[in-house]
Parts: sequence; C-alpha cells; structure tokens
Amino acid sequence: MKKVIALVLALTVCGSLVLGCQNTTKTSVTDTTAAGPATTKATTAETTAAAGPAKITVVTSYGGDDGNRANYETAVAAYEKATGNTVNDASGTSNEEWKAKIMADFETGAEPDVLFYFNGADANDLVNNKKVVSIDTIRAAYPDFASNMKDDLIPASPADGQKYAVPVNGYWEALYVNKSVLEACGVKVPGADYTWTQFLTDCETIKAKGYTPIACSLAEVPHYWFEYSIFNHDTVATHATLPASSTDTAGKAWVAGLNDIKTLFDKGYFPTNTLTSTDAETFQLMADNKAAFAIDGSWKIGWFQENAADINDFTVTYVPAQNERKATDLIGGLSMGYYITEKAWNDPAKREACVKFVEAMTKDDVVSLFGATAVTALKNGTTAPADADSLTIAALAMTKSATGVAPAVQDKLNQTARTELFSGSIKNIVTGSLDTAKAIDAALAIKE
Amino acid sequence: MQLLRSKNNISPQKTIKLEKFLIESGDGATVLRLYLKEGASMNSVIYKRKTPLLVLLIPAFLFMTLFLYYPFVMNIFNSFTKITGLGTSGEGYNTPWYANYVHLLDDPLMRTSLKNTLLLMLATLVFQVGIALLLALMVDSIRKGTQFFRTVYFFPIVISATALGLLFNLIFLYNGGMINQLLEKLGSGAIDWKDGTHYLFTMFFPVMWQYVGFYFVILVTGLNNISRDIYEAAEIDGASGLGRIRYITLPLLRNVLCVCLTLAITGALKVFDLPWIMMGSGMPLDKSWLTGTYMYHQTFSMGDVDYGSTIGIVIVVLGVVVSQIANRIFKEKDY
Repeated sequence: MKKVIALVLALTVCGSLVLGCQNTTKTSVTDTTAAGPATTKATTAETTAAAGPAKITVVTSYGGDDGNRANYETAVAAYEKATGNTVNDASGTSNEEWKAKIMADFETGAEPDVLFYFNGADANDLVNNKKVVSIDTIRAAYPDFASNMKDDLIPASPADGQKYAVPVNGYWEALYVNKSVLEACGVKVPGADYTWTQFLTDCETIKAKGYTPIACSLAEVPHYWFEYSIFNHDTVATHATLPASSTDTAGKAWVAGLNDIKTLFDKGYFPTNTLTSTDAETFQLMADNKAAFAIDGSWKIGWFQENAADINDFTVTYVPAQNERKATDLIGGLSMGYYITEKAWNDPAKREACVKFVEAMTKDDVVSLFGATAVTALKNGTTAPADADSLTIAALAMTKSATGVAPAVQDKLNQTARTELFSGSIKNIVTGSLDTAKAIDAALAIKE
Repeated sequence: MQLLRSKNNISPQKTIKLEKFLIESGDGATVLRLYLKEGASMNSVIYKRKTPLLVLLIPAFLFMTLFLYYPFVMNIFNSFTKITGLGTSGEGYNTPWYANYVHLLDDPLMRTSLKNTLLLMLATLVFQVGIALLLALMVDSIRKGTQFFRTVYFFPIVISATALGLLFNLIFLYNGGMINQLLEKLGSGAIDWKDGTHYLFTMFFPVMWQYVGFYFVILVTGLNNISRDIYEAAEIDGASGLGRIRYITLPLLRNVLCVCLTLAITGALKVFDLPWIMMGSGMPLDKSWLTGTYMYHQTFSMGDVDYGSTIGIVIVVLGVVVSQIANRIFKEKDY
C-alpha cells in the first residue's frame, strides 16, 4: 500500500513539473510563431472575443519619484473605472538597469502587455525580434487607434522604419534654477544669452558663498551634462551624429564636451559626494535650497511641484552655450511612447484592454496633463492648465522661444555602450584616471 | 542477547533486537553503546525495500537536475560563446573560445571584486561569528531575559535585505543622514561614508549586523547543550570566569563553532543584495565590487551574458574550494 502511495505521490509531483513546463513552452511558442504576418491575420472575431474585465500588466517609466507619477496613477485609475479592467502596474525609474530589466523580461517571455518605452535604438531588439505590434497592424483592427496624433510626428523605429510607439509627449532638457540660492549669492537668473564663461563665473561665486553650484550625480546620471557639454561643441544639425571614433569631427566634440565636465569637477562645482551619491540625493539639494543649477528633462517639473517648499523659488531656462550653439538651442524630441506587445495582442482576453489603455493614456487631456510644455504629436496640441504655476509658465516660455531642437545623441548608443560610458567611464574621466579619448573609443567599439 | 518490549509496542514486529552491547570506561564516565541488529523487524518495511525511497527521491532529483545542474552545465557552455542579451541564443564561440577566461585575468575590476569578497569573508569570520560568540557567551551567563535577547538579536535576519539597504543608506547619507547629523551636532564635519576611505566599512557593516543574530542563535543553542554540572565542578575547583570559557566552553563548543565558521565563509561568497542596494555600480570609482555584484552588473547592466557566466563559474569554483578548505581546517571532532 505504501509503495502505491509513494508511486502516486512521485508521479503527481513529476506530472505537475512537466505540466508547468509545458504550459510555459506553449506560451513561448505562441509568442514566437505569432509574430509578424500572423498578426495581420488577426480576426475581428478574436478582437471581440474578450468578455468581461481583463487584467493587464503595464510597465512605464512613471515609477519611483517620477514627476508624473501622480498624473499616471490618476490616468490609470480613470481607465480602470471606465473599462472595469485592472492594471498590474510594474513601472520603474528610467535608467540603464530599468532598460536592461525590460529587455530581460522580453527575452525570458515575461514581458508586460503594454510598455511605455523609448522609440530609438533602445527598442531595436523589440522590433527585430517581433515582440511589439506596429501601429499599422493595430489600425487594421482598430482604425481609430492613435487618430488624435499627427502621423508625421510619430517617430518610426530605426530598425525597420515602421511606427510602433504612440507618443504621449515629447521632452526637452534644460537648466533648472534655484532662484533663492542665486538671490542669496547675488547672481542673476540666466537668460537666453547665457554663456559658458558667465556660467563658470557664477558657479565660482555660488561656491564661494558655500552653496553647491551644480546638483548632479556623476556616478549615476551624468547623461544630461554629457548631452549639453557635447552640444556646446557642435550644432543642431550635427549633434545627433554618432562619431566613428574620438578623432573625427563628432568625436572631437565628444572629447571637448567630456573635458568640460572634467573642468567643472576639478573646480569643485559638483556636490562633494557626486561620485558616491544617487541622482535622488543630489536633486534633494535643489529642494533643500543648497544647490543652484541642475540639468534635467521636462518630466522633472512634476518632481519640483511635489518636492519644492515653494515652486516660485524655481525656474527653468536655457543651458549656457559656447561656440556655435545658441543657448536657445535645446535637446528634445519625442523619444518615448506606448507599445502593445505581441504577446498581449495575440491574447483575445487582453487585446481590447491594451488598445483601450493606450488610447486612454494618449488622449488629448491626459497628454496635456503629463506635459503641456513638452513637444507633442497631438493634432490639437497640448493645453496649458489654467492654474499653471510659475515653473510651468517658465517652461512654456522657454520652449516657445527655442531656436532649434536636436535629439539626444546618446539614444543612438546601444545599452552596453551607454552603460560603459555613463556608468563606467565618466566618473573615471573626471578624476583623471581614464583618458577621455580612450574612453570614447572604448564605448564606440561596443557594437552589440 | 536481550529482547526489549515497550509497553506501547506490543507487536513482535515492532520489537527491537539488540545485537550486542559494549561498556566503555574512560575518565570516570561509563558509556553504554547499543547497536541495532541489521535487518531488525522494526526497519523491515521502510529500510529493507529501497524502491519506495528511490521513487520518492526522483522528483527532487529531477527538480535539481532541471533547475540547478542543467543550467550550471549550460552556464559553462555559455562562457565559451558570444551572448549579447539574456535569453538570446549564442552567436557562435568566442575567438578564441576561452577568451572570457583570458579576460578574467586582465580585468582589474574582477581582481577588485575577488579581493573585496575575500576581505568580506575575513570580516565575516572575525566580526559576524566573533561578535555572535561574545553575545552568546554573555546571554548564556544571565539568568533572565535569554529569550528576549535571542529574539532581539535574531530579528535583523527576518528583515529583507532591500529594506535594510535603504535603511542603512539613510543612516550613512551624506546630506542629512543620521550619522552625519550627529557629527554636525557635535561640531564635526559631515563624512562621505561611501568615499574611498570609508566604503569598506559602509558596505560591510550592514552585512555583519544582519547575520550576527543567525550565528548567535546557533551558538546559544550550542551553549545550552553544555552540562551545567561541568561548570559547577569547575567553579568548585576555583576556575575563574575566563578560565571556564577557555577550558570548558570553547572546547565543548568547538563543533558548533566550526559549523558557524564554515557557514560564514561560504555565506560571504553569496552576499549580493545589501551591497548592491547601497553601493550601486561599484561606488566609489569601481572600488566596492564583489564577485556577486560584478557578475550581476556584467550580465544585466552591460548585457555581457557570456562574461557574466564566466564570473558565475569563478564564484562556484571559489565556493567549492573555500568550503573544502574550511571543512578541513574546521573539521569536527568527537569528544
């Protein structure tokens, strides 16, 4: 009798193992085979097959301390209430680790149903491996999908030229300024004609008064200073050119730009612990009225609105310029958007819910809420809120007077190269333990 | 030959047959050793027929093969191939096929991570087990509150490493951190606890703190097993407190200590979460990498899966070698 029981137990456990594996395999196979042409065969019957509320998993960059976190939660709650569907939100903070985790999720078959992600080279693997659905494919079943967007402004994937991600709003990167710190130091708020030389003088004054001139973690997020430092050595037309080496024209601009960051570090304008701090720590210096300047994106407005004791203490303006670049030339564009994954698209229970989710998150009023000041693909444009604060108004004025917008060149680097450069090299460049040209060549040599 | 029959086990099938008995004399103690006759009737069902046992072992064996040994073998294979993303298949063999192993030797960050891991191992021996022993001896000496201290010291074990990492980040924070606030109140300047001078302390301290309680509980249990009669006899003979620890406690605790030391050494090789949360990408300036954090960085952040696999193999080899050495050094003794 015991022998029989033992046998039954053993078979049950083995069987459950096999069944578990079989289920996963089945899903994976569906994922792979469903890619590409199979998608176009999606029938209306499948489209309408979903009955009852669905639960979808969504990954966005509106996690952690993102400035739009509250807006995102509001929009998700409105979607859930309107549709009865539920959202399993797995959002995170956009950084290299977050990107790597998303890629790992796709590669291991654990991808979300809807993804808010970059539309440049970062998403090439998703497109090449047919992990996401093109807007054209979605429109074949849902003709009104993203119809409130100007198609010409929806960025195409560099991998195959097709459009996959529905943009919410674009971005700009600019100089956030703590006005109360500047006032205490007797420094004027920078304007449209702000030069690099003036900036260095102001930083010296601010440092002498005991404040931190620049809030930036060179250990974690040197990205924005990298972008503008290079931009100061090229133009709107040439900025997005990826150098072949440190010795060509674009490469020389990179070397000069990174050396400018080293100069700022050597002069002690970054926080004392810039090589050991996180981005959140250094930005807290702005909220605590201990630091004067910080470069960040349009998404950071929300952070100031949430963390500043008085939003009127802050403004946003142009990054100081040198050489041919005008201060009013901005880094910006439409770099992120909502993708629907193939896995969700081929799941009749989720397809409709995903389409409705993307539509809900890209409605005119939601896009305006997320960033009225940003570049947009909306046909009707964004609407500034009636009760816009001084920071939002400053951002609107800044973007309105911009003389040129160039995309971020770092988006053209692959993940490994970018991690090597930002996480591995810049901290060593500024301390002088790594030669700038060698660091650039090492990063550019990473092709995969 | 003697036949024993328990009052609860009347059935002849459940009686215990004693094959022989020995009486050994030594140091005034008499030890009676009884040996069960092989194939005694009590064991007949469970031990005589091995097939049910083998059948029951199969699921665990399959599980281990599927989720441990197969991935490990694949990991060895992957270390020779070029893999640029998790889950993607290899793009052929590296050129030369052992390129990653050559890279290991000339990778300065790998040397840093090995050095830090060995330092952590040493710190674990001295501080985790050392402090745990001190605490255990002190708690064993008190009459009341033993259970309270057991709970208090064991508590950090049940807190997730991520939460502890965030907690210690706040404690060691440069701007407004708990320690720096205290220092500023005392008129001293703030210290960057993650700079080149302090990073080892900042990284190791939370790890030490978290696991002291684990070894403490093991050692206290070991101390409880030492007969009080021996201490009383020593006290009557005039042994001092330190003398009792030196000549009674430590020798009788030796085997438990050996287990703790072996666990501590092998455990140090697996430390990952706390340092990863606190020190990020090897801060400061790539000085704080451990083998675990460096492997994760290469695999997930850099996307260099094959090199990450190679580091994984180094960790396994290091673990096997170190645990073998530890087993030989801290070999248990029979008393």
